[in-house]
Amino acid sequence: MRLLQKFRNIGKSSQYKGSSNYAYLATRVRAMKSKLVPKETYPRLMNMGISEITRLIEETEYKQDIDKLARTYSGVDLIEHGLNRNLAETFTKLIKISEGEPNYLIIEYLKNYDIWNIKTILRGKYYNASQNEIKEDLVSAGQLSYTFLSELAGKESYSEVISALEGTEYYPILIGYDETNLSDIENNLDKMYYNGLFNVIGESKSKDRKLFAKFIRTEIDIKNINTLFRLKKAGVKQDEIVDLIIDGGLELSTNSIQGLLPLSYDDFIQALNKYSFWDSISDAVGSDTDSLINVETQLKKHSLKSASSFSHVYPLSIVPIMDYIISKRNEVNNLRIIARGKAANLSDEIIMNQLVI
Amino acid sequence: MVGEELAVMDASGLRAIGAGLAVGLTGIASGIAEKDIGSAAIGAMAENEALFGKGLILTVIPETIVIFGLVVALLIK
Repeated sequence: MRLLQKFRNIGKSSQYKGSSNYAYLATRVRAMKSKLVPKETYPRLMNMGISEITRLIEETEYKQDIDKLARTYSGVDLIEHGLNRNLAETFTKLIKISEGEPNYLIIEYLKNYDIWNIKTILRGKYYNASQNEIKEDLVSAGQLSYTFLSELAGKESYSEVISALEGTEYYPILIGYDETNLSDIENNLDKMYYNGLFNVIGESKSKDRKLFAKFIRTEIDIKNINTLFRLKKAGVKQDEIVDLIIDGGLELSTNSIQGLLPLSYDDFIQALNKYSFWDSISDAVGSDTDSLINVETQLKKHSLKSASSFSHVYPLSIVPIMDYIISKRNEVNNLRIIARGKAANLSDEIIMNQLVI
Repeated sequence: MVGEELAVMDASGLRAIGAGLAVGLTGIASGIAEKDIGSAAIGAMAENEALFGKGLILTVIPETIVIFGLVVALLIK
């Protein structure tokens, strides 16, 4: 079979084609998913102090990371670094164990961590944060290694950081940075990320790419809806919102977003009830709600749920892997919220509201 | 002409060919079936070694196909 595939691929660009052993990858990823922290553990974590939380997560997948970092950090910093390290290790593992097409798609998808890290470092430099403060937020799950990133974090000024990134695909955008246009640069980096993803989706019509496309476009929908909610709530003007919208959503096409833009906050909520995510957020929205935390949590829950049911429809495809990536990210977020919330002495109710379980 | 050629073919030889086909083709079939199950089992075992027993059993279930082939081959002979 592999020989046949090789013959078929002759003449095509075979850089990221080749065999993709989905049976192996999807099952392994499912086994990894079964090791995530179960729902029932969160209420238990809520009743614990920082050191107990550390001990509990040490009994799960985070053991190695916590053990390794325990010498350098302590308390809530230890948890934060441990979680980040574990996230990076897990995603790097996904890249290592996959081959062929899924490998290429995962690498493209995880590039958002490179962008996240570059943004973190630039922001850190902008506010004169120390190397350690910046390192706290680095997640080296993308192509840039942790050592390289912490070197970047140790550089004196932003221009040294940018020149160290020469040769990467981000350099052409970063070169335009002059310490006043940080948000523009960040927006451009994000747009570049999605353009890259759409290039990947556009160049082939295989079943995998189609599923991947559907996944990415649903994610864009959720992002856009979040942006719209926040900006509408804050009463930002229509033309300022347009720049922040990402093109290519699945349900919310550019046209339907154009239709939503001029509406008032109440009408905007009314207009949302024809979309599939309405059922998940209908309880949380209303013109009288002060905070959007509930809406955003519900939207996140909706995307997690739809990813997981989608992965049952296509068991041997890229979908279970994407499902795992977002579930893992969500778990790390939840644990971080609990740890940071506890350290800041927030009430249990506030922490609970923020969790996406 | 065709009839003449058939007449000279030995019946036991044809049976042997049939038996060979029965074992050979079912062997290939179970190989194809086991390929995906085997790699999935390895994937699961890499994460959780306790699944070795289950993985092994599930992997060899398509062996029944080749066993049927073998039975048919024995019956033909």
